[in-house]
Amino acid sequence: MLEIKNLHVSVEGQEILKGIDLKIKPGELHAVMGPNGSGKSTFSQVLAGRDTYEITGGKVLYGGRNLLELSPEERSLEGVFLSFQYPVVIPGVNNTYFLQAAVNAQRKYRGEEEIDAVDFLALIKEKIKLVQLDESFLHRPVNEGFSGGEKKRNEILQMLTLEPKLAILDETDSGLDIDALKIVAEGIDSFRSPERSFLVITHYQRILNYIEPDRVHVLLDGRIVRSGGPDLAHELEQKGYGWIQYDNSAPGNGADA
Amino acid sequence: MEHEATTSRIGEDQLFYCAQRGISTEDAVSMIVNGFCKQVFHELPMEFAVEARKLMEVSLEGTVG
Repeated sequence: MLEIKNLHVSVEGQEILKGIDLKIKPGELHAVMGPNGSGKSTFSQVLAGRDTYEITGGKVLYGGRNLLELSPEERSLEGVFLSFQYPVVIPGVNNTYFLQAAVNAQRKYRGEEEIDAVDFLALIKEKIKLVQLDESFLHRPVNEGFSGGEKKRNEILQMLTLEPKLAILDETDSGLDIDALKIVAEGIDSFRSPERSFLVITHYQRILNYIEPDRVHVLLDGRIVRSGGPDLAHELEQKGYGWIQYDNSAPGNGADA
Repeated sequence: MEHEATTSRIGEDQLFYCAQRGISTEDAVSMIVNGFCKQVFHELPMEFAVEARKLMEVSLEGTVG
């Protein structure tokens, strides 16, 4: 599904990602964990195609195709979804209208007929129950005046409606209280399937109590310094990131202890 | 100047957000501008709002390629 080979990324001449290797098979959920400033958000933004980053080396294959050649729009239409860490407000644009436009862009791309407003409203009213948002959110401008938790649930609503093949969740758990976290995690978990892959980017282990990852990777200073099974997340929760930082302070692997 | 810079920055984030949802730049620009104007028109007296809306539809056609 997704294969990343020796990916190097810079921002304004400063190297942020220093050779990332990662392979996610269909149906797998991988967690990338790391402290602030480790390069987590750069990673997700680069995969979605944000152009403020310079890719200085490496490859990203998505379903065998060169992902880095595709525009952000094409990536989305090909089934790559990013749940934003900071979902964007679009004043005056109705939430339902926005999502319908997204669904219809996708349908058009696949050569399918567009969905009309009546059918779409029926569909979205079913989906919104899954994230336990009130129907009034359908008629408000996109993310305007939403709390942090409501924004994240709205991102998950978009994911459930657009049905991507690869979902990248950038700190979807941060800033959520325990109830909202459970709703979001259940939304993600219910969406897992043998064809669909997930990349869950997070600072904290707690969301992984609800969605068991196949693999956990630790990102430190732009490198994946350790990979393992779900237990690695628990170990990090107990010991913090300092332990790995110390453990990997040998010359050549770049983690400054 | 500072205000202009901030506005264009917000525009970039909004465009990227729309693109990440598969919405073309042309559709995204018209959606964002329409949304913004709708909020401004909300403040105007009725007759102005109707005229302004018509004007906007005319002026947006074919401006983005």
